[in-house]
Amino acid sequence: MAYTSSQIVQAVPTGINSALVLISSTTIGTTVSSVAISNAFSSTYDNYKIIVSGGISSASNAGFIYMGTGALPASGYYRFTFSGVYSGTTVTGFNSSNGAAWGGTFQTSTDSSHTSFELFSPNLAKNTHIISTCARSATTANALFTGGYLADTTQYTGFTFAPDAGTLTGGTVRVYGYTNS
Amino acid sequence: MTYKIQIDDLVRDATAEEAAAIEAGQAEAQAQADALALKQAARQAVLDKLGLTADEAQALLG
Repeated sequence: MAYTSSQIVQAVPTGINSALVLISSTTIGTTVSSVAISNAFSSTYDNYKIIVSGGISSASNAGFIYMGTGALPASGYYRFTFSGVYSGTTVTGFNSSNGAAWGGTFQTSTDSSHTSFELFSPNLAKNTHIISTCARSATTANALFTGGYLADTTQYTGFTFAPDAGTLTGGTVRVYGYTNS
Repeated sequence: MTYKIQIDDLVRDATAEEAAAIEAGQAEAQAQADALALKQAARQAVLDKLGLTADEAQALLG
């Protein structure tokens, strides 16, 4: 018997207590300066995984992410990031305290870069927390590990991410929800 | 400068307000990068004084 994709999604929660359910998949366009996903979060799920993979950028830079799809917020973003290059063992830490976005939470690459964002309670009337990991290959190839939160109880439905400089081309943004039970 | 932005599957030119937001974000990021570069320069200056590489200093700290 053949199943449609919606039938398969509905079948998962009945047999498994915890699962990731694909909410949206968006292909990143050509030479865009920012990417906003507007209908990512809802009351259906408390926590989410966002995978950004497969794209390239016009230059290797850091990037930032913030909640909502409007203008850059004024403040409220806190995070700490560990960063290290593959050619050494030195770990560099950097932070944002009450910043305008979660800066430095991913890095772009002219070769390839992959990032996983975990977002906790973005659609609940609570602070949103983030844990992200990023690995890229490039001249200064490195990996990033970030944890942080947004001191704001707004119930968000979307998010925006952008490189610090340059543009993004290609790759996919996939948003998954963690089933609550 | 003209920027292209993407909202879901739609790619379009940024409005003046959106372009200003992109530039504000990039300026914020640059400020953070500058602060990190200063921190790394200060760290390297200490290592140079001690005559150690970063990996040697890391090994000393355990």
